[in-house]
Amino acid sequence: MEYSVLGKKVRRVDGAAKVTGQAKYTVDMALPGMLAGKLLRSPHPHARIVSIDASAAKALPGVAAVITAEDTLKLTFGNWRRYPHLLDEHPLAPDKVRFIGDEIAAVAAADEDTAEEALTLIEVEYEILPAVFDPVEAMQDGAPQIHTGPNVRNNVSETRHIEFGDVDAAFRACDRIREDDFSLHAVSHAAMEPHASLAQTDTDGRLTIWTSTQVPYYVQILLAHTLGMPEGKIRVIRPHVGGGWGGKIELFKDQYCAARLSQITGKPVKIVYTREEEFSCTRRRTPMKYHLKTGYMKDGTLVAKEARAVLDGGAYNAMGPTALYLTGFFQMFPYDIPNYRYDGFHVYTNKNPSSAMRGFGGPQAEFTCDSQLDMIAADLGMDPAELRLRNLMKPGHEIKGYCKVASCGIEECIRKAMKSTGWKKKRGNLQFGRGIGMGCYGFMSGGVFNWINTPYAFSAAMIRMSVDGFAEVYVGSAEIGQGSDTVMAQIAAETLGIPMDMIRVTSGDTAVCPPDLGAWGSRQTLMTGNAVKMAAEDVKKQVLEAASGMMEQNIVYSYDMRDGKVFVKERPDRTIPYQDAVKAAVRARGGLQIVGRGLYTPHGKGMVSPAFSFGAQVSEVDVDVETGKVSMVNVTTAHDCGQVINELGVEGQLEGAFVMGQGYVLSENLATDDGKVLNPSFVDYKVMRAPDVPLNFTSLMVETYEPEGPYGAKEAGEGLTNPNAGCIANAIYDAVGVRIYDMPITPEKILAALEEKKAAAGKKKPGKKPAARKPRKPARPAKKTRK
Amino acid sequence: MKDFEYIRARSVDHALEVLAEKGESAVKIAGGQSLLNILKQGLMAPDCLVDIKGLEELDFIESNPGTGFRIGALTTHASILDSEVLQSSCGVLASMERHLATVQVRNWGTIGGNLCMADPSSDAAPVLIALGSTAHIRGPEGAREVPLGEFFLGYYETVVQPGELLTEISFPAIPPATGVSYEKFRNVEGDAPIVVSSAFVSLEKDGRTLSDARVVLGGVASTPVRATAVEDALKGVKLTPAAVESASGLVAESTSPIPDVVCSAEYRNKIARVLAKRTLLSAFEEAKAAVGGKKHR
Amino acid sequence: MTLLDFLREYLGMTGTNAGCRTGDCGACTVLLDGKSVNSCLVLACECDGKAVLTIEGLSAGGRLHPLQEAFMDEGAVQCGFCTPGMIMRGVEFLRGNPDPSPAEARVAIEGNICRCTGYENIVKAVLAAARKMKGGGVA
Repeated sequence: MEYSVLGKKVRRVDGAAKVTGQAKYTVDMALPGMLAGKLLRSPHPHARIVSIDASAAKALPGVAAVITAEDTLKLTFGNWRRYPHLLDEHPLAPDKVRFIGDEIAAVAAADEDTAEEALTLIEVEYEILPAVFDPVEAMQDGAPQIHTGPNVRNNVSETRHIEFGDVDAAFRACDRIREDDFSLHAVSHAAMEPHASLAQTDTDGRLTIWTSTQVPYYVQILLAHTLGMPEGKIRVIRPHVGGGWGGKIELFKDQYCAARLSQITGKPVKIVYTREEEFSCTRRRTPMKYHLKTGYMKDGTLVAKEARAVLDGGAYNAMGPTALYLTGFFQMFPYDIPNYRYDGFHVYTNKNPSSAMRGFGGPQAEFTCDSQLDMIAADLGMDPAELRLRNLMKPGHEIKGYCKVASCGIEECIRKAMKSTGWKKKRGNLQFGRGIGMGCYGFMSGGVFNWINTPYAFSAAMIRMSVDGFAEVYVGSAEIGQGSDTVMAQIAAETLGIPMDMIRVTSGDTAVCPPDLGAWGSRQTLMTGNAVKMAAEDVKKQVLEAASGMMEQNIVYSYDMRDGKVFVKERPDRTIPYQDAVKAAVRARGGLQIVGRGLYTPHGKGMVSPAFSFGAQVSEVDVDVETGKVSMVNVTTAHDCGQVINELGVEGQLEGAFVMGQGYVLSENLATDDGKVLNPSFVDYKVMRAPDVPLNFTSLMVETYEPEGPYGAKEAGEGLTNPNAGCIANAIYDAVGVRIYDMPITPEKILAALEEKKAAAGKKKPGKKPAARKPRKPARPAKKTRK
Repeated sequence: MKDFEYIRARSVDHALEVLAEKGESAVKIAGGQSLLNILKQGLMAPDCLVDIKGLEELDFIESNPGTGFRIGALTTHASILDSEVLQSSCGVLASMERHLATVQVRNWGTIGGNLCMADPSSDAAPVLIALGSTAHIRGPEGAREVPLGEFFLGYYETVVQPGELLTEISFPAIPPATGVSYEKFRNVEGDAPIVVSSAFVSLEKDGRTLSDARVVLGGVASTPVRATAVEDALKGVKLTPAAVESASGLVAESTSPIPDVVCSAEYRNKIARVLAKRTLLSAFEEAKAAVGGKKHR
Repeated sequence: MTLLDFLREYLGMTGTNAGCRTGDCGACTVLLDGKSVNSCLVLACECDGKAVLTIEGLSAGGRLHPLQEAFMDEGAVQCGFCTPGMIMRGVEFLRGNPDPSPAEARVAIEGNICRCTGYENIVKAVLAAARKMKGGGVA
């Protein structure tokens, strides 16, 4: 079908504001009489709070208020409202601190310097407790117990089990089995805009908070819970947001403390995290230890897989338990493996909490999966691409009790990526030092998860149409830079048949917009998009009804809107300006404005996601064999996101996800020592910069039609973070014949592996493809069993 | 950042006067590209900041075919990079500056500020030491000169006293039959270097035998260091890639790296060896070309 | 007080963003006497007598700079937080190098971190603006 605005390169609706500096972020907001807030954080990884004396801080001139747990309701909170046993975090620590950075108190003062000085005057007496930093150690008997409670045993806060088929029988029957151990590290979201909030309490006790968040609705209801207020008295406004990637999908302490301090002082209070706080005190990507066992036949058919993951959850659950589930679930994607078993353990440690981050367990899973698939292919003497092609999910793939995959373009993605990169010619034939590798993935388009326990639809939209034909779209979704407002404007424009500049999207203001679960899990295009489409259809129906009354056509004819006109479908030359129909409709209803409403909640779509995106990626790398440094040469990614809505947006998401993933593999590492983050700055925490990214980046869009998505659309941009690590690891192996099992893949590790390989090979020169190789440092020895 | 008195120096003499008057409570600021972070973190909290950045008398680049080069301490990195005279007769400085930090830092940061900050992985110091530079310092007692190789005392510490100013860096013209090279290693572009190496290679008339060498490494000790064992192993030797490779294996005799969040000490030594080799070889090539009559850069 | 704080807090000009306040991310880049600097690493008092150009001044008069247009057309903007600094750096770069190669454009913005775009479309925008400025004679 020929669309008027969908599938094209469309300028962002917020582009002009952003290129001129007019866009206002929370950090830019100011109100008269505003106070500056700062948080007091624990310097210890694990300690009991014996006493807190804030009197000197309160007495400091310029200090308006100091709050500790005594000024709070001491309630635990979190996104897990449906599963209260997972709620383990307080707004301010009442009795114990569990990581360096745990929040203990907050100060509001005339300015930031005074607030900081006041922090130094708060006297906290601690009883230092033994701490544990490694999740496997934390699971042992006798380890320090970070949380106590009926559901926590030996620091395991949550376990997840996924199983289908007959795994044991399949392992007995297969030709070969491969087992490997992998370890994955922590990285930081490092959004350019830090967490920030400005809260104001009015004389009626109503609270307004401007905050940098991906989830305005969650912030509203979790503030209501922690402050003991009705939801209706809280308004959350999300100004422009400078990036999120999962780092802003919860209620954060800046939000709570700004709100509480504004209640106590009666003045607006603003809290902005420093870059150091961003790195050392917010969330991080979950580090994992993975054991992977795969059974396969000599022809390359994968028949059974068993995965065991131990997650370093940090001091609190945060959204870690969802990563626990999703890493196990996406471990099998995008492959058709009939027998699968996963056991995951989410373990507390005295480090900053692990939580949601772009890919949400997927990057960890795909690194292990893709690395091992290449080892299996090598074992079978098979092209790794062929091995993948042999085992793919197909459209209609169903995993009973879990999900049903309707649209699935993975095969086309792989074939397109192979063709575009010259895979067959290059693989195995490049000079020593250059290599090519592949990684594949599938990812969700929104979760069928209602842990927040909302009675509302997952997404909703409202559209008001004025008599001059302008449409105001209200959605509770969060534009955080990913381009969702533009996508909503396009969907509304396409459905209404009017130009995009006749649409204004207002999103993320809880007083104005209907509730929406927000920006996480790649959900907005599919879920909020569906709601917008439905609301636009509702508006259109009302306009067309009025038009039919005006146009006096044969009753058998029907009507539609396009290019700003209402036309008779059977006689497209008969048109009227749609604004005339809008006016007529309003007059006919005594002046009542046209309002359309829409909503979306997945029903009958299993327990994970209503739709899945797929993709394949091929990377070509150079490895400097003297230093171990990896340079990206070419990257091609082919992504099945269903119907493309905004080509510019999809392209930007794919490229951005790739580069974030490149950093995950090659340079980023949120390092800790005894729980202390060692590199809380952009000097020491190494994100990729422009000259590091591949000079040739090709993004190919494989369009499928997803029946559950608006106009057939689904996820773009989160899933592509998933295949990078495995893809680049495989390219490195192809280049120099070393396999790194513990992330990140630093030059130092590559060089060490090269030296080890050279030592093992004696005086022989490095060969292109050694026949047999062993994992460098597996926690358990890898086994290859021939039966 | 604590409040401070801000004095903009009108001349070197004025700056020295103010520094003498204010004593230990005053701190000099040039480009401030490192100093401001130190002030913001409260690691230093001076009562008085003496801004010397605008002193035009210390912002110059001079080249004299006979005596060599003089660079004013307050010359920005960008000016050095853009200097046609340096590009044509001392290309190694431009190639160092091209990759020093980021353009925002090069535009405002000065060569003197870089050296006085004494960051052990400074880009600039190894090249300037390899070029045989001298630091010119003025203080209440007059002017003095210190070979740049003796300028650095330890982490963030130099011979310049609080009442003194580094005024210029000078180095001789590059002799005939000589090549000078520079390379740094970093995992992410635009990032601070992990290891820096610069090599100065002079050849005998035969175009093969090494008459003089300086190999200077950064990022492997508390100050830039001369890899003297490497230099000594090559003196009087007919250079070959194998000879250079083998001599470079001696870098660790001069280094004392410490492990940090970026990499281990051992890895720094490995990289130092590779960079010493690479810079020696490229300086050798350049020197050979110079012997062969081709104009070196 | 740094130039960044002076712009944001004292003048209320919030177009220049604070990404790290340590000179490592480039988000606060402004042009000082025509040269890009990290405004968090310059004292406001050092700027006495100098010309400061921020993103707000780039489109003064309501007409966008070709680079601003190109950022929108090429999808070089996502969250937008790095955008003002990136554009100011790009403006300085194109003044000195009106006909850059893709590799030069990438190195030109190495001091500016973008966490959203992967830089690809930013480089495209810089190149597109260069073409447009050459053709249209915009300085």
